[in-house]
Amino acid sequence: MKSLAIVVRDDAYDKILTPLAFAYLTASEGTQVDMLFVNWAVKALTADGAASLHIDGRHAGDEAKVREGVAKAGLPTDIYEILKALKSTGCVNFYACSLAAAIFGVDDANIIPEASGIVGAAWFLNDKAAKAEHYQYF
Amino acid sequence: MSSMRVTTTLDTSGKCCPMPMVETNKAIKALAVGDVLEIVATDVGTLKDIPSWCERTGQTLLASSEEDKVLRFYVRKDR
Repeated sequence: MKSLAIVVRDDAYDKILTPLAFAYLTASEGTQVDMLFVNWAVKALTADGAASLHIDGRHAGDEAKVREGVAKAGLPTDIYEILKALKSTGCVNFYACSLAAAIFGVDDANIIPEASGIVGAAWFLNDKAAKAEHYQYF
Repeated sequence: MSSMRVTTTLDTSGKCCPMPMVETNKAIKALAVGDVLEIVATDVGTLKDIPSWCERTGQTLLASSEEDKVLRFYVRKDR
């Protein structure tokens, strides 16, 4: 696979792990991965937001066990550290959706340096998602 | 297995997806063509992941084994 585009909407700690793991897997093999963070997930592209992610709802009580499992699997338990690991592959771009950024409080001052910027969804969908070999939505 | 000369061993025991594949990709990049990478894993996902990765990336899976839930893959770097 040459390219993969992923839209991430769900910001629950457990649910954001899957797109990040898929991105890590494919990027480590040299696949170009472009990720657009929309809705609440855009907060994951700030240091404070990434640190504040938790498991929601009926699984909330299992968070300590989940984090322990993540560490045992060999991944950092901190979402920001996972984002850094993905970026270090040289094959991953993180983009913040401009609408989500405006609504949920992400701007040039607090977005992590690993992100490639705040972009319009039309650009991402047409120039990244539509042109990618594979497209996923989480 | 006696005629196979292992160049490097990557032990991913205890780790789960995506790390065995992430680390395998890193390890193979550090080797020269013709070198043999031994991958030790306990993640059952590698049973399918490693052979398909070899086919996709042009490496050769020379042999594999499973003993006491420990998986071993021997991969020759061909490209």
